[in-house]
Amino acid sequence: MSDTAAAHEAPTSTGIDHKKLIMWLFLASDCMFFGTLISTHLLYRKLFPAGFTDAEGHQRFIQNLFNLELTSFSTFILLMSSFLMALAVSAMHKGQLKSFRRNVLGVIFFGLIFLGCQVYEFTHFYHQGLTIQNSVLGSTFYVLTGTHGTHVAIGVLWLILLYFYSFTGKLGGHMGALDVEVAGLYWHFVDIVWIIIFTAVYLVEYLGPNGIWGSGLPAVTQ
Amino acid sequence: MSSSHEAAPSPAFLAEEVRRYHHFIVLALWLAVVTGAEIVLIFLPLPVAVVFTVLALMSAGKFFAVILWFMHLIYDKRLLLWCFLAGLVLAFATFAAVLNLFDAARIDTRWFS
Repeated sequence: MSDTAAAHEAPTSTGIDHKKLIMWLFLASDCMFFGTLISTHLLYRKLFPAGFTDAEGHQRFIQNLFNLELTSFSTFILLMSSFLMALAVSAMHKGQLKSFRRNVLGVIFFGLIFLGCQVYEFTHFYHQGLTIQNSVLGSTFYVLTGTHGTHVAIGVLWLILLYFYSFTGKLGGHMGALDVEVAGLYWHFVDIVWIIIFTAVYLVEYLGPNGIWGSGLPAVTQ
Repeated sequence: MSSSHEAAPSPAFLAEEVRRYHHFIVLALWLAVVTGAEIVLIFLPLPVAVVFTVLALMSAGKFFAVILWFMHLIYDKRLLLWCFLAGLVLAFATFAAVLNLFDAARIDTRWFS
């Protein structure tokens, strides 16, 4: 740990602020939560390589449904929002409230764009015949990406509250910076979960004619 | 939440924040480049195993870059790193166990039809 960090050492037995420690422990538990959701999706994706059956009874392949351009754009937006969040935390550490507000507004804006893309994607998939009920693939896909989207929505709400709270004059000093840092940790976590989902759920579908899961497995219909 | 009546940050602390600021900009550029490379990679005529391995490594690189720099783990106390790694290891163990225990080849899919 650097000297500058030591200068802000918290008066606790661990030397770490309780809020920050609790947030890290929560994120560790959330890792396990998303670990099970991703595992479930991949397992059922392996079991049902054909994808899903639409309303007209046709077998549909999930890779024909994905819009890589849209998902890549969403990923880029979320990565850049993480960058702005890091700048917002840095601004609070330096006591630059205006810079914090500017950056956090950017994060909120990018978060809303991400959510908009997800709503568009879900609507498009639904109209193409992939619903949460008509296939196991649909269930696991919507639950996994929907849970992540819910995390993003909570993060956006939290940041909006922090933005308005900054106008009360109570969000300042080391403790104010800590509040923003804890919110930032949550936001970065949402970003790293998407990094994994983007690769494990979306990109692998483009490897080979049937995605990474290949052929040779039974195409099971519902 | 907190009180604003606290001492101003020291010059050394501010210098450290400026240094981190530059790290964040460089990292953001790298993340954008790696994401672009991932998208290009999946369309290259390479063996699937090679592409998948490289994708997994790139994804892991982005993951750890964000937690180390953006989430300050590289600057913070080691205890936080161990706390998070404990969750991460358990998540990965769960992931490996689920995929192995419920291997598709060993499941009777008649249950689903």
